[in-house]
Amino acid sequence: MPAVQDTIDRVRKIDVDQYKYGFQTEIAMDKAPKGLSEDIIRFISAKKDEPSWMLEWRLEAYRRWLTLDEPTWARVHYPKIDFQDIYFYAAPKSTPGPTSLSDVDPELLKVYEKLGIPLREQEILAGVQKTDASELEEVSDNVYKSGRVAVDAVFDSVSVVTTFKKELAQAGVIFCSISEAIREHPELVKKYLGSVVPTSDNYYATLNSAVFTDGSFVFVPKGVRCPMELSTYFRMNERNTGQFERTLIIAEEGAYVSYLEGCTAPQRDENQLHAAVVELVALDDAEIKYSTVQNWYPGDAEGKGGIYNFVTKRGDCRGDRSKISWTQVETGSAITWKYPSCILRGDDSSGEFYSIAVSNGYQQVDSGTKMIHLGKNTSSRIISKGIAAGFSQNTYRGQVSAHRKATNARNFTNCDSLLIGDQCGAHTVPYMEAKNSTAQFEHEATTSKISEDQKFYVMQRGIPEEEAIALIVNGFVKDVIQQLPMEFAVEAQKLIGISLEGSVG
Amino acid sequence: MNMHTQPQRTPAETALIDAFGDRLSLLPGDGAVMLKRDDAIEAIKHGLPTRRVESWHYTDLRRLLNAVPDFDPAANAKAIAPIVDGSTVVSILNGKSDAKVPVIEGVTFQPLSEKLIDGSIAPGLDPYGSDDAIGALNTAFVADGYFVDIADGTELEKPIELQNLQAGGQTHVRLPVRVGTGAKAVIVERQTGDGAVLGSSVSQLVLGEGAEVTWLIVQEQPETATHLAQFKAHLGKNSKLTVFFMNAGGKLVRQEIVVRTTGEGADFKLRGINLLAGDTHTDVTMVLDHAVPHTTSTEVIRNVVTGKARGAFQGRINVHQYAQKTNAKMACNTLLLSDDGEFSTKPELEIFADDVVCGHGATVTEIDHDHLFYLMARGVDEKTARGLLVKAFVAEVIEELDDEAIVEALEARLDGWFVTHG
Repeated sequence: MPAVQDTIDRVRKIDVDQYKYGFQTEIAMDKAPKGLSEDIIRFISAKKDEPSWMLEWRLEAYRRWLTLDEPTWARVHYPKIDFQDIYFYAAPKSTPGPTSLSDVDPELLKVYEKLGIPLREQEILAGVQKTDASELEEVSDNVYKSGRVAVDAVFDSVSVVTTFKKELAQAGVIFCSISEAIREHPELVKKYLGSVVPTSDNYYATLNSAVFTDGSFVFVPKGVRCPMELSTYFRMNERNTGQFERTLIIAEEGAYVSYLEGCTAPQRDENQLHAAVVELVALDDAEIKYSTVQNWYPGDAEGKGGIYNFVTKRGDCRGDRSKISWTQVETGSAITWKYPSCILRGDDSSGEFYSIAVSNGYQQVDSGTKMIHLGKNTSSRIISKGIAAGFSQNTYRGQVSAHRKATNARNFTNCDSLLIGDQCGAHTVPYMEAKNSTAQFEHEATTSKISEDQKFYVMQRGIPEEEAIALIVNGFVKDVIQQLPMEFAVEAQKLIGISLEGSVG
Repeated sequence: MNMHTQPQRTPAETALIDAFGDRLSLLPGDGAVMLKRDDAIEAIKHGLPTRRVESWHYTDLRRLLNAVPDFDPAANAKAIAPIVDGSTVVSILNGKSDAKVPVIEGVTFQPLSEKLIDGSIAPGLDPYGSDDAIGALNTAFVADGYFVDIADGTELEKPIELQNLQAGGQTHVRLPVRVGTGAKAVIVERQTGDGAVLGSSVSQLVLGEGAEVTWLIVQEQPETATHLAQFKAHLGKNSKLTVFFMNAGGKLVRQEIVVRTTGEGADFKLRGINLLAGDTHTDVTMVLDHAVPHTTSTEVIRNVVTGKARGAFQGRINVHQYAQKTNAKMACNTLLLSDDGEFSTKPELEIFADDVVCGHGATVTEIDHDHLFYLMARGVDEKTARGLLVKAFVAEVIEELDDEAIVEALEARLDGWFVTHG
């Protein structure tokens, strides 16, 4: 049965020609010469004032990358990328350490204003050091009282500012740009960087290892519950640049952190490459929640321009009883190629993946997850909703595997797709691999079997089945998305309301 | 086949290419057929598929095919009793069509070698895609088989059993079957034999308007055989096809099922059982194209894995852009009974039409402890209880076949397997 009108209207509201963040800003930039070579990598490393071990690490990755072939298995098509035609480093020329709003480049300020980030948050974003607790009380409204958010703002290749650092430091939490972490906390970076996504992992991850320019670093020590939400806001601005950010989050024993990521880019006719790597490490009893609202420029209605979003995200539940949860709302990018994964190494660890991917225009999405069960009594849950409209292609690709020693591994996967119009495509490619007889894997592409009990409970209260199912599926996603600090969280909220009536399985 | 040029040929690849050179003068075929063979061996020269080829993700043929036996013209196979009494039996004995061809009204049997020599089969010899290694291997080497034509309106009362019996070396056979308008038939494709053979077998079925066919693939190769098989079908308007397969043997088995609905109102059912034991590898790969509106399909696959067996099921349903009102459902359930066994599933949906109902489900579990407890609480010992539950799990699929003689015959095969592997 075809999609219901309400759904069509909602999807239309976020169609590619409705992209709101497509403006560009003229800001004086520092750029490396175009192209990729060992010299460029040395240039980046020098710009960042990196120690020599970091440079060696990058060069090793680069040499490895030269031997790799670009992967072709994903269901996405694009012309070959000319890596010599990209700026691998572009940073706004900044006055060091602005202390008041008037010191900050007004153009940079305007960007955040236009992105619709509320003023006070904007002050914070622009680097005004109003992070003192007493001052915050003065400016606080409900947002800040109920849940403050520390932000790391990455503009093209560099992190321009990180807020609330002091307050976080009081709790023992390190939240800073990865460049700073390499300089200030080399022992932590050395220990964890590349330990989840090694430099040899895949084509784009290897490229990232060689050329990453910035990103966020989070370290939550043993037993600490991070006192506020952490967030990184990625903005690509400069023409012909690639953005290669690297995020590393470590939660020690018993720690908890919730991290949010948002991204937008200007509207341009040419394609731009974004190849990020995110690594999460959760030790015993730790929990990491990672949420993404991906809203890169998707290209125009004819499919011209847009971001190539080739991202490797992986979480390692290294400790027993650890938990990693990925939530993603994907509406942007011309091409999305990403599979936030969980390696369930610790016994009794668990992984979650909740995703809503909406594609319009000529967008191509090939996204999903991997749940690799290695430890005993590990469990994972995957809920994925794909909505394709226009001429877009929307693929869910997910792997669930239980290794020999992963006794009592449990997985539940539910993926639904919805097509709006007959020019688009929806695809489901689940891989289930069981090597242990006690594994219990269930993959469902029908909406009728979420949990009969839950459904019964809701329906018993007079809610029709379709709504009941939507309520249950959305329930998982909602609690994370509701906490998003950015303006476009509202958009994410709208998406959640999309009914899957007419789902094709 | 494999897009990546392989740096070095494996011994198996070299053996196949050398064997082609040696066999060339003995292979039947007119100019057109020989050209197809040349193209096919070229594809093999590019290398057998590896895991990097998506459709071979779980069967790295390049790695797994490590022995290619020589052709053995002296090896002899003998026709065996059919699984359903009274069936019309047509046998291919170690790759050669039997001289004795039965005569039944409305059905024509013709040795395939004749159709290779006159070239009339040439257009059907093309592999169906660049990753069709089995098609290419078969096209390069196919020497015989049967062409079966069931005339319009013929309703056969007894099944036809096509036996492909191996005795040694390599065999490459092809079984094109045309079922005319409104005809009805039950066809059993029997794949068995002795020895460490390498066999490829391609069945090609074309169903005319309103035709109804039940096709049973019963594969009981010895645990020394490499069995690479393909079943392809085109479903005409309002035709109905039920394919049942049972894999209960072989060392390295790949069974491909490639079906396309070409006429509105066509209905396809796939029911299959994989009984996996020993140190073996079995892969069932289905590609189903709903190419026209108003067609339906259901697929149910049940797998039992014991010993060190490795199994895989890949099922892809493609719903084309104009195939509105398609109704397709697929389920794949696996009982993993040993810690050394493994099973992988990849049930894919590719949907380009917006007014369709498609679903798939897949599970991998061990035996339900509640069920076991239920039986044991009634005094059934654990071993028997387990046996009962496993058998019930697969027998359910057989019972759906709705033809008593066939159900009985298949259950007998099933019992046989459980006696040997229970």
